Amino acid sequence: MISRTRLLTRRLILAGLAASVLAPIAALAADAPKVIRIGLPLVGTGNRPVGGSWNFATVQIKGSLEQEFKADGIRIEWNNFKGAGPALNEAIANKLIDVFAIGDLPGIVGKASGLKTKIIAADNRRYAYAIGVPADSQARSIEDLKGKKLAIFKGTAIQLGFGKFLSRHGLSEKDFKIINMDSNTATAALATKDVDALFTAPSALYPLEDRGVAKVIYNERHDPAAANDRGQAYVVATEDFEKAHPEVVQRIVNVLVREAAWSADEKNRSALLQLWAKSGTPFSAYRRDYEGQGFKEALSPLLDEEFVANIQRNVSESQKLKLVRGSVDAAGWVDRKYLDAALKSNGLTNFWTPLDAGGKPKK
Amino acid sequence: MTTSFSLALPGGQTLGHIGRRLGGLGLALLLPAAMLYLWQLAATHEWVTPLLLPAPAMVLQALVDLHDSGELWEHLGISLGRVGWGYLAGVVLGLVLGAAMGLSKTVEAYLMPSFKAVSLVPVLGWLPLFIMLIGIEEGLKVLIIAKAVIVPVTINTVKGIRNIAPGHFEVARIYRFSPLQTLTRLIVPSALPSLATGLRLGLANAWMALVAVELLAASEGVGFLMVHSRQLFQLDMVMASMVVIGVTGWVLDRILQSIEQRLLAWRVTAY
Repeated sequence: MISRTRLLTRRLILAGLAASVLAPIAALAADAPKVIRIGLPLVGTGNRPVGGSWNFATVQIKGSLEQEFKADGIRIEWNNFKGAGPALNEAIANKLIDVFAIGDLPGIVGKASGLKTKIIAADNRRYAYAIGVPADSQARSIEDLKGKKLAIFKGTAIQLGFGKFLSRHGLSEKDFKIINMDSNTATAALATKDVDALFTAPSALYPLEDRGVAKVIYNERHDPAAANDRGQAYVVATEDFEKAHPEVVQRIVNVLVREAAWSADEKNRSALLQLWAKSGTPFSAYRRDYEGQGFKEALSPLLDEEFVANIQRNVSESQKLKLVRGSVDAAGWVDRKYLDAALKSNGLTNFWTPLDAGGKPKK
Repeated sequence: MTTSFSLALPGGQTLGHIGRRLGGLGLALLLPAAMLYLWQLAATHEWVTPLLLPAPAMVLQALVDLHDSGELWEHLGISLGRVGWGYLAGVVLGLVLGAAMGLSKTVEAYLMPSFKAVSLVPVLGWLPLFIMLIGIEEGLKVLIIAKAVIVPVTINTVKGIRNIAPGHFEVARIYRFSPLQTLTRLIVPSALPSLATGLRLGLANAWMALVAVELLAASEGVGFLMVHSRQLFQLDMVMASMVVIGVTGWVLDRILQSIEQRLLAWRVTAY
């Protein structure tokens, strides 16, 4: 009996010793998250959880992150918000999101409100907007739409794009009857002529034009005056997640950079638009939206001078339009270390040309 | 058992005593004060991130800002205008419909089942149809508010008229009341308490319908202010709008209540 007890004790001590030695190693392994919660302010037609136009949308459709983290047993959880950026901001405040992509206005609003985040890469930086009217409308320009019902999705990047568009024409929101609608509701309302005009992404309007229910009377992409007013989207990590899992953040940026490089190759242009068409917005609509716009430039992940200057300018535009309170220091928000490492490890250091604050290639 | 009972009793008495001393107002403010305290507590301890639950002081500041910029009164004026028109239309239609159904069994037999069926379908269900018929501008808002008002006004009018004792009509006949006299001297005074209930319920419904309809499609009004502030991640503004909506609804109800008391004063003295 005694010897047995002693044996048991000895075993227990051994087990305890083993546990104390192994625990830190186990903790190290547990350090990797079980799941990465990603937030995207993009949905497709019928609010399906698939978007287009953004590099992060490509990554979602291709399943590139799933591939990257499969061996580690890390699950990727996608959260596509039909309420777009504003809904995404609420989810971030509730600590439900680790890494996300977001457009100009909600990104700035969230940061100015005190969300603790860091920009880790640029996403689509050549966003343009367009105006659609019902097919039988007499309106030919924004001036013809004064006093009419115009739909925009307030609180999203579209509102800032609209504000900048109006400033260029010396107008303000007060010159119209503005109706706030999410993207899918707005396209339906335009088709039924419940609104006189819709200001949104060109790719959302061209399908209506093809069906003969609407026509596009203005596309910012072909307006030289708007050349420096493009919308921007960017990839952001919460500080909590970035501090806890820097190696995971690094691998996410690696994947993003590789996909951006793939999209930059003009021979992949059709394949890319086909992928985006999974959102329900047809291939042809994306083709017309990005006519004359190369994806090497549009999807360049670089956090260069142009990118930072644009954010700073959008901050002051948003303040002028009273869409944001407080301020944001763009330079302090950007964290280049993951991007730089990703470019280096993928041999892409000189692949994209950095642009200066004026959008010109930097020597 | 006994001890706890005897302990609870004096406590309750003192509380009731204080309540009586301070008048009804003190008791009415007890719950809001407790909520406010809990809210402040939650804010200071950051149980919820201040981004989503701003401190009471921030909400107060938002209210002051809204007042100073004049935005508050602009939005409130627009909302009250919508409620005014919708309420007026709803009350007129509700009274006519209710009187017709209350006075005539035949009319009731024809209309009541359809009326009930229509009134049970929520506003959201009617919305696409309404939009198709009258678009999404002011008319839609007024129509939806009117619809919310008609239901309680009609039902309470019918009830008020139905509950008049048949004997009173016999007396009216003996005195050879003209139909107009029957209406003004018998039906309206007798049905007034029930009518007043309908009118107050109608107003409460109107105010709630307004906020719902401004959330859907609008570019001004307090409901819009709330939804737009949320889009811009300004939760203090959202809560300030909630305060404005709640207080305005309460004030409207108090106004109607005092009118009702004045109109029914004869009844109180009669007892």
